[in-house]
Amino acid sequence: MSAKPAIDHAKLGEQLCNIVQKRIATNTLVLPSLPTIALKCLSLIRSPNFSLKDASTIVEKDPLLAAQVMRQANSAALATREPAKTILAALSRLGVDKLRTLLVEVSAHKVFESKDSRIAAACRGLWDHSLAVASLGRDIVALGGGGGEPDVAYVAGLLHDVGKPVVAALLLEAEKMAVGGWTSANSASWIESSAWISVIQSTHRKVGVALAEKWELPEAVVKAIRDCGDYDASDRPCAANTVRFANAIAKREGMYVGPVDHDDNNALIMVGTSLLGFEEDFLRRVCHGLKERMKEAAA
Amino acid sequence: MPRILTVDDSRTVRMILTKQVSELGFEIDEAEDGEQGLLKLEEATYDLVLLDVTMPVLDGPGMLARMREAGNKTPVLMLTSESKRTIVAQLMKLGIDDYILKPFKNDELKRKILKSLKMGTDLPVVPIPDDVPRESVSSGGGEDGSPARQFVDILLVDDMENVAKKFRAALPAHLTVNSCVSAQAALNVCRERIFRVVLIDNEIPDVDSSVLMNQLRVLQPHAAFLALALRSVNKVQNEMKELGFDDVLFKPFQPEAIDDLLQRYFDNQELLLKEDNVLKVAAFQGRAERMEKYYARVAELLNGGIETVAAACFDDFIVDVSQMPRDPQRTAQLITAVDASGKKFGMQLRLVGPEDVAKLLKSFAETSGMAVFTSVEQARAA
Repeated sequence: MSAKPAIDHAKLGEQLCNIVQKRIATNTLVLPSLPTIALKCLSLIRSPNFSLKDASTIVEKDPLLAAQVMRQANSAALATREPAKTILAALSRLGVDKLRTLLVEVSAHKVFESKDSRIAAACRGLWDHSLAVASLGRDIVALGGGGGEPDVAYVAGLLHDVGKPVVAALLLEAEKMAVGGWTSANSASWIESSAWISVIQSTHRKVGVALAEKWELPEAVVKAIRDCGDYDASDRPCAANTVRFANAIAKREGMYVGPVDHDDNNALIMVGTSLLGFEEDFLRRVCHGLKERMKEAAA
Repeated sequence: MPRILTVDDSRTVRMILTKQVSELGFEIDEAEDGEQGLLKLEEATYDLVLLDVTMPVLDGPGMLARMREAGNKTPVLMLTSESKRTIVAQLMKLGIDDYILKPFKNDELKRKILKSLKMGTDLPVVPIPDDVPRESVSSGGGEDGSPARQFVDILLVDDMENVAKKFRAALPAHLTVNSCVSAQAALNVCRERIFRVVLIDNEIPDVDSSVLMNQLRVLQPHAAFLALALRSVNKVQNEMKELGFDDVLFKPFQPEAIDDLLQRYFDNQELLLKEDNVLKVAAFQGRAERMEKYYARVAELLNGGIETVAAACFDDFIVDVSQMPRDPQRTAQLITAVDASGKKFGMQLRLVGPEDVAKLLKSFAETSGMAVFTSVEQARAA
């Protein structure tokens, strides 16, 4: 076995970046599809003949999705004296909007799951962070009084980093192809972590937008993923601003995997607080019990 | 009296700031760029500087850097249309007290000026209320004090504590009730608990009850929201429903109204079971005095059920009255109304019930011609 060649990681990172961007531009990037059941359900919701009974027939075919539906319908947030005992009853309690959000959430969660031990933990952490941003975004819109749809903010928050696990998986593939069978779960990465991070940071947003468009999500969600890099002062209450702000709050609350530039983050919070018209007391209220709520949601 | 310096190249902005600051009762001086601002700081002592970013001669970051280098620790409130985080991060490193993005609301300006001057804040109640101590929320019956996600039957929001006492006394002991005397407390408790019914006084000081209702509704999407209103001859019920409330409960509380509330929202009994085009009416349970309410509720549910069946494009619908009480007049009236409802959608009614129901219906002209089947299967096969 010959020794590994010396690698210019910066150049490698740049090349990988170019590959990803080229694939996005030429529409040849392989993106995860919506799971079949979720796709059927979402198509049904869009059709004029939609009925909850038909939806329940589809949901019943996927035990995991069915379990999620029952769990959410009987959660404390929707609890009544009598628990829902059938899928149909559960869907009646959830309603179409919540069902749609749940389908996207379950589908998105699969994107963040990885069998590769090198990135599995990071993907899990990223998912927890995305849940926190989604939850904060929804609460900020709901309680902020500035208009906007809480569910759009929730889905946008959930997917704002969805491009990262997709790009990470792509890099793993590239690595395997480049080095053949040398790498294993316990061996050091052939691509240096700084190159990994650089490629992911510079490409994940475009990949996230491509995924959101493939899944035919609402334009407001696509825009929020695309534009949440910087605040848009011309459209203050837009979902992108909310997601940007919620992202910074989640990082401040320690719900993020990876390095955080605290000065940069504090500046984001300071700008966002004025942009969205909040103050510290309001932020304290929406952050209250956040970690506990996220633990409950992830359980 | 606090003295404030505003540094901005826009004369319009300086005029607005001068007006707002003067309304607070503070003194204010002006400068049109960073250099002038530094000169003013040498001439006088200020309690606060309102500083723009982009200015000719010397910009805001430049002026701030020189202030801090000279040991001047006067609090600075940045007032700028600059929202790039890199620039704001740089300003924060130099030491700013707060930040306001232009265009700004006067409320935000005044609040942040007062906060920077450490003079307390003047916060609006809704939509940005203060946090309040838990002691302002009182509870009754059955709570174990466990945190978040606790399920409670009713939340009552009324600034008069006696209302909560009277309400609690009118309810059966097994129902759990929380009460709040302010909008802030209500918002807090709705973040932590889940309610089945929320009652909001339609006259809470300092807050519009319908605005509060809309905010609480987001936190409690499955709760019923009722307005608490004084009994009067005005059409307050329609008015409250137009504002988005589900219903109204009148004060002082009447036993019948409380009974209605309990039956509507806490009665476990499902009075109508639906499956495809079959609507099965459940038996009556309770005191004889409530029979009329039972029939009224069944009629309401059947109308809704018929609409659902019609929306599913069935040609006929089956109503199973086997378990209904044998009140001849009421039953006949109900079935006549149900038949008429079905005909509006072009659907035919098929009735299911035992022989005594068939005999009962034969004694009324309106229902004498109706066929009554002994089972759902027979009705389907017909």
